[in-house]
Amino acid sequence: MKITLVFLIATLIPFAGWGQSKISGTVTDQSGEVIIGANIYLEGTYDGCSSSIDGSFEFDTSEKGNHLLIASFIGFKDVQYDIVLSDSAVSLNIIMTESINRLEAVVISAGSFTAGEETNREVLKPLDIATTAGATADIAGALNTLPGTQRVGETGRLFVRGGESDETRTFIDGMLVSNAYSPAAPTTPGRNRFSPFMFSGTSFSTGGYSAEYGQALSSVLVLKSKNEALLNLTDVAIMTVGGTVSHVHKADDWSVAGKLGYTNLAPYFQLAQQRIQWNKAPETFETDVIFRKKYDKGLFKFYTNFNREVFNIFRPQITQADILDQIDLNNQYLHIQGSNEFKVNDKLKITSGLSHTRQNEVLDFNEDAINEHHQTSHGKVVLDHYINEKFNLRSGAEIIHTDHRYQYQTTESGQLNYGQSIAVGFSELDVYFSNKTVLRAGLRYTTDRLSNLSYIVPRLSLAQQVGENGQFSLAYGEFNQAVRPEYLRINQILDHEKVRHHIVSYQWIKNGRTFRLEAYDKRYSNLIKFGVENLNDPSSYTNEGEGYASGLDLFFRDNKSLKGLDYWISYSFLNSERDYLDYPSSAVPVFASAHNFSLVTKYFMQDIQSQLGLSYSYSSPRPYNDPNTTYFNSGRTRSFNDLSLNISHLLNPQVIIHGSVTNVLGFDNVFGYEYATRPDDQGFYQRRAVRQPAPRFFFVGIFITFSKNKTINKLPEL
Amino acid sequence: MKTFLLIIVTLVTTSFGLSTKYEQQMLKHIAALYVANSPEKFQELSNAFDRIARVEKDKWEPYYYSAYSIIIWSYGVSEVSEKDKLLDHALEKINSAARLAPNESEIIALEGFTHMSRVNIDPASRGAQYSSLALETYGKALAINPENPRAMLLMGQMQYGTAQFFGSNTNEACDLIKNALNRYETYENDNPFAPK
Repeated sequence: MKITLVFLIATLIPFAGWGQSKISGTVTDQSGEVIIGANIYLEGTYDGCSSSIDGSFEFDTSEKGNHLLIASFIGFKDVQYDIVLSDSAVSLNIIMTESINRLEAVVISAGSFTAGEETNREVLKPLDIATTAGATADIAGALNTLPGTQRVGETGRLFVRGGESDETRTFIDGMLVSNAYSPAAPTTPGRNRFSPFMFSGTSFSTGGYSAEYGQALSSVLVLKSKNEALLNLTDVAIMTVGGTVSHVHKADDWSVAGKLGYTNLAPYFQLAQQRIQWNKAPETFETDVIFRKKYDKGLFKFYTNFNREVFNIFRPQITQADILDQIDLNNQYLHIQGSNEFKVNDKLKITSGLSHTRQNEVLDFNEDAINEHHQTSHGKVVLDHYINEKFNLRSGAEIIHTDHRYQYQTTESGQLNYGQSIAVGFSELDVYFSNKTVLRAGLRYTTDRLSNLSYIVPRLSLAQQVGENGQFSLAYGEFNQAVRPEYLRINQILDHEKVRHHIVSYQWIKNGRTFRLEAYDKRYSNLIKFGVENLNDPSSYTNEGEGYASGLDLFFRDNKSLKGLDYWISYSFLNSERDYLDYPSSAVPVFASAHNFSLVTKYFMQDIQSQLGLSYSYSSPRPYNDPNTTYFNSGRTRSFNDLSLNISHLLNPQVIIHGSVTNVLGFDNVFGYEYATRPDDQGFYQRRAVRQPAPRFFFVGIFITFSKNKTINKLPEL
Repeated sequence: MKTFLLIIVTLVTTSFGLSTKYEQQMLKHIAALYVANSPEKFQELSNAFDRIARVEKDKWEPYYYSAYSIIIWSYGVSEVSEKDKLLDHALEKINSAARLAPNESEIIALEGFTHMSRVNIDPASRGAQYSSLALETYGKALAINPENPRAMLLMGQMQYGTAQFFGSNTNEACDLIKNALNRYETYENDNPFAPK
């Protein structure tokens, strides 16, 4: 009995609190700032505590012998100490170092605007693109309210920092999309073909972008499609211009979504007087299919879009308005792509994809017929390699193949065609010096077998955090792009056009307020230049053109100051001249306006379940060339003004009514002038103003959602 | 002699039997959690649960309470980015818990609570994404255990908030909340560390 008792007492001793030793000390970071709330404990035991408000800690333990003391804290690396516990006290001054966290670290932002759901450092939210008044849910229209873009109202396209519209290329999930705009009648705006609702992330770069992207002189628009569908639902939209039906089916690890759309502007044109004589108003049939599948280590996405548009118009001739030219257009478009993300392990991710875009356009101009067939295939593989905390290497290869065929039947008939293969290799290293300093350096090698040329260009950018909320960024890079099909089909040995970007930027973001100021300089060379005498002669085309664009972009956004109100202000200043195409000398190009200003506001009214949007845009006068004067491009239009409104009202959780009006005040905007090709009897070139197809555009739509979950609707999307 | 034996039996059972160190520590910190009211206290408790989790490698409850402490803590900070950081951190703990007990309704309900907390940060811009995610997650929790009053209450609150945001009828949500509150009275769980 006694023995048992002794044994019991002996085993109970460790629990009784005898022979405890004290462990104490302080916790600071490298700069000596105290760390509050760090977890300090003996590995394998319950013993430990949190550091207090002055960074000090103290706890008792009855453990003896060799032990591991660990200190851990969010955003810092764990620190370990081997300690020997005897009866004496242990005192330690723990210094912790910040761990470099890719999510916390400063993000390279020079030149780029991103809209995403992942972080709150994004300048825009995905919905901003869909709800901007005046943009009528057009991606390009919404991005046109951001600094760095010039408004060119008669095209509806993105013109970035003194670049032409085709200097901006669109990518979906990293894959190239060609012919991203739908066709439009002469001097009327086209739309981006892709619905903003499809994407969870948009990155719009106005310069200095990564070595991953090329064949774009001015800008890349990178759209990231949604990774997964949220739930099963069916949407029906009935609009003044047509209707759509879409359905999403979601299973555990895959989902499929399909959409059918039909638009016909004829009824609308009956009601609203147009300046264009439509013989057949634009009629479009469209279908989309998206398939997504998640698997063990990756995600596969498939997307296809088919679109067919036809229209027919009568256009009065400039010199004799009673003579009408007839233009008939039939455009068929198919984009199809598959992409796959595969995580080999924690350190290596492989992204690959294939895309194919084809467009066939038949254009009849009176008796003349033109059939243009353009197809682009893109294959790409990217390896993301996390080397260690400080380094990340991104390398890849891509092939872009283009086939182009141009058949014409005019006074003479013939065919021009070419096939071009561009192969690219790129590599880019991210260096995280700390959470506050990140450098990205890349190289991009391109070889073009058609024009028999190859080159290698650098890309460099740096981001440095200053203070809690600010950051400076610098970017430099050389960008190239093969010349446009309309020149390449005549002369296939033309060099790629070239531009060098320099960007300096400062950005400040705090609790719902964003300020950004950016200055840039672009130097163009190798631009296409040709004489007007013989446009069909390959030798009249050279790469001797050049130009520059420099300017200042300003952005301010605030959704904090007034409850329910969200607004942003953009201002862009541009100074640009080019000597290219048929320009006799260096001149401001017709698409370049020196000052662009936008104010975009969104106001949510909880009481009446509505969101009201208002946008105002201003562009300073644009140049046009008046052949009656001796100075090239010396004419200036009047300035451009637009005030647009939209409203979304939630009738009940399943039904939304959306209405919008562009140019409410009916400004008579003139984008430029078209001149007769030949002078009249008095030796005078007659002209016609390029104006909006109608002073205002009205839109009303009803959007209905059918879903088992009754609280889900499309409001967030409007 | 009888008394002596009784003392020994009590000593033995309290030290090794019904009340192990794990149980003592858990119950102590859980009790503290229910009365905690400052960010510092929640951080301290999260640390304490983490220390237990590091030792008890097969128990999901310490991770659960650590995550819960962090979520409540996130309500006490004002900076949006700080809130997000904490919710990310809580989600890591939830994932650790879920790896140990993949079919535990309580863990899934808590995951739904992190999504709901993101909605609260900015309902207008985050509602669309996170409210449906939260509802879906609560649905999963209830599919595993239809009696889980927490999953039911949170789902009711989410539905109420959504209905209020859209100005629609809140009856359905209110019924669910009432139902959940009744369920709290009767809900029995044989796990002594299950949330109450």
